[in-house]
Amino acid sequence: MEFENLKSKNKENLIIKKGFVINPQTQEKFEADILILDGKISKISKDITHNNADSVREINAEGLYVCPGFVDMHVHLREPGNEEEEDVESGVRSALRGGITSIACMPNTMPVLDSCYLIEYIKIKAREINYNIYPVAAITKNLQGEVLNEIGLLINSGAVAFSDDGRGVQNARLMYEAMRYGGQFKALFILHEEDGNFSDGGLVNEGYYSAMLGLEGISSLSEDLMVQRDIMLSKVSGARIHITHISSAKSVELIARAKAEGVNITCDTTCEHLFFNDSVLTGYDTNYKIKPPIRSEYDRLAIIEGLRNGTIDAIASDHAPHLLLEKNISFKEASFGSIGLETLFKASLTKLFYEEKLSLEKIISLISLNPAKILNIEGGEIKVGSIANIAIIDINNENIYESDNIISRSKNSSFIGQRLNGEIRYTIVNGKIGFSNN
Amino acid sequence: MDKKKDILSLDEFSVEQINEFLIQTESFAEILKRDIKKVPALRGKTIINLFFEPSTRTKVSFEIAAKRLSADLINFNTSSSSLRKGESEIDTIKTINSMENDLIIIRHSDSGYINYFAKNVPVPVVNAGDGKHEHPTQALLDLYTIYKNFTNLKDLKIAIIGDILNSRVARSDIKLFNKMGMDVKVVAPSMLMPEDFSSFKTKFANNIDEVISDADVLYMLRMQFERQERKFYPSIKEYNKFLSLDMARFNLMKKDAILMHPGPVNRGIEISGEVMDIETLNKDKIKINAQISNGVAVRMALLYYALS
Repeated sequence: MEFENLKSKNKENLIIKKGFVINPQTQEKFEADILILDGKISKISKDITHNNADSVREINAEGLYVCPGFVDMHVHLREPGNEEEEDVESGVRSALRGGITSIACMPNTMPVLDSCYLIEYIKIKAREINYNIYPVAAITKNLQGEVLNEIGLLINSGAVAFSDDGRGVQNARLMYEAMRYGGQFKALFILHEEDGNFSDGGLVNEGYYSAMLGLEGISSLSEDLMVQRDIMLSKVSGARIHITHISSAKSVELIARAKAEGVNITCDTTCEHLFFNDSVLTGYDTNYKIKPPIRSEYDRLAIIEGLRNGTIDAIASDHAPHLLLEKNISFKEASFGSIGLETLFKASLTKLFYEEKLSLEKIISLISLNPAKILNIEGGEIKVGSIANIAIIDINNENIYESDNIISRSKNSSFIGQRLNGEIRYTIVNGKIGFSNN
Repeated sequence: MDKKKDILSLDEFSVEQINEFLIQTESFAEILKRDIKKVPALRGKTIINLFFEPSTRTKVSFEIAAKRLSADLINFNTSSSSLRKGESEIDTIKTINSMENDLIIIRHSDSGYINYFAKNVPVPVVNAGDGKHEHPTQALLDLYTIYKNFTNLKDLKIAIIGDILNSRVARSDIKLFNKMGMDVKVVAPSMLMPEDFSSFKTKFANNIDEVISDADVLYMLRMQFERQERKFYPSIKEYNKFLSLDMARFNLMKKDAILMHPGPVNRGIEISGEVMDIETLNKDKIKINAQISNGVAVRMALLYYALS
């Protein structure tokens, strides 16, 4: 397993031989070679020959799939402020391990990403290591839900979207004004939907298991009410909204109906919500303590169906690193969140391809093309002329996911101990091999 | 090495084992009636009474039980409140492990904490109450109290009344009573019940009058004001009207029925002062003090089991 120094400036020409190329745009799979010159895809066809004078490094992709690099639209990098949990560089290494070539990072850092200089700071950090990071700015000052941020200036500084992730804007009027004003700049709102009156003090899904285990519940109404509210606000304001980490059957239903009515809405779910139901809580394992909570099997099946029928547009990791001492503690005191960059692809493949029989092209769309389109960024495609962001994957591999395998600085993964399919063999970022594993 | 005998809940015990405990408790209860109330069964054993949450009766009950069995008991009170709580609690566990001890009795305000704790200590752990989750020794002493009053437990009608949502006693009792084939009904207003209580496998009512004249056992729960993180119940007046046991309702109880409460009683809330004051004259019916004395014998039986 090897990570390459992303900071070095030397560009390398690459040729990927004999792989199966997946193009989510056309939902096609075909065998071809890919030639990458000067960071860009210059040729896609069978049996490309090249002369060694070009100093082209060859990657043998026989038996492997060549996909657009994955795009994770919901990541917590913890820089600035909590670098002991994760920083930009460690987060990027974790992303590379997961085949991810572009990430959108959430603003709940310390200080909060609510000022232009902080958005620029993240962009500079990303450029230094030649990686694609799209900062999401806070909707409200310091995520307090009280004062609207400088939406226009922040967009000019490079904010890709706006989110009060971690809490959500509780004040409906403020959310409405944010949407109306954001509309002037075609801003995208990534909405964490949670009504604090329902969720405060809650630890897990309100239901059979919360009752049995004596753990305070969070009703799915906490999410559903806010989804419904924001659909109504979007209808009136016309704002483009994206509901992140949806967890409940009712939310899937509300969003499906809104889409049918032409509301400008998209959504994602996380690997935890498509993989687990709340029966996993019986051992009080704090790695399953996430927000929104892992819900019932009924909800999980609705999430799967939403992914199948296109109601749910994307899968995101909601990578949320925490120190061991915030997790190795009683369930009540433990922090919410699980890391997920390294399992985004594997967990999706395991559950959706092997169990639910979704096509590989469809799954790849959910973690590359679709999130790229929602964020309105480059990516999600393999085509001549575009910058080479590519993940080369082996779908036949199968392993137990262990804490020792984790690259992220934090080890709080819900997937520890799970049998997962798939392995990333190469991650190519902006024309360079960032990670290889043979 | 044999698996250590933790008592975290009563789920792991079969009906036969529970019956065995009840019979053994009888013999420990007999010891408590002697002039010299002490046997050498656990002589040389060290037991730690580790309470992360305030308690009087459970803590004292365990202490008496341990001393009657000649064990050395050390009380270890600790509050668990600091910003990074994890550090202090893990250090507490390390401290306890470094002291030579044979068994730890523990209470904690967080559900599931004791399951985590038990994995990190090498000696048997007895759950003296964790959050809103389990209180197995209370459940067993409740069962023993019922067993002393009724020859046959099967199909006995028991009504558990009050703050089910926040009660670990209710959760442990319901499971144990169901296991023993009793006919359990819970009585609570909607906001003091979990939204989905199907895991309890009980019948449900929301008014004490629906059960008062039918129950063999009336089990009143303590209104857990200290554990109610979200307070939605309107008032004590409302509670008195629909859920409390006053003299009029007491008189409607079946002739052989008994009244229980895990204590301490909020006088005038779950049970009226009048009813509380006639306990000495109605020992056949009001079993609240009997529960406390039975608790010592039951805990002796459990400590003896865990250390033998």
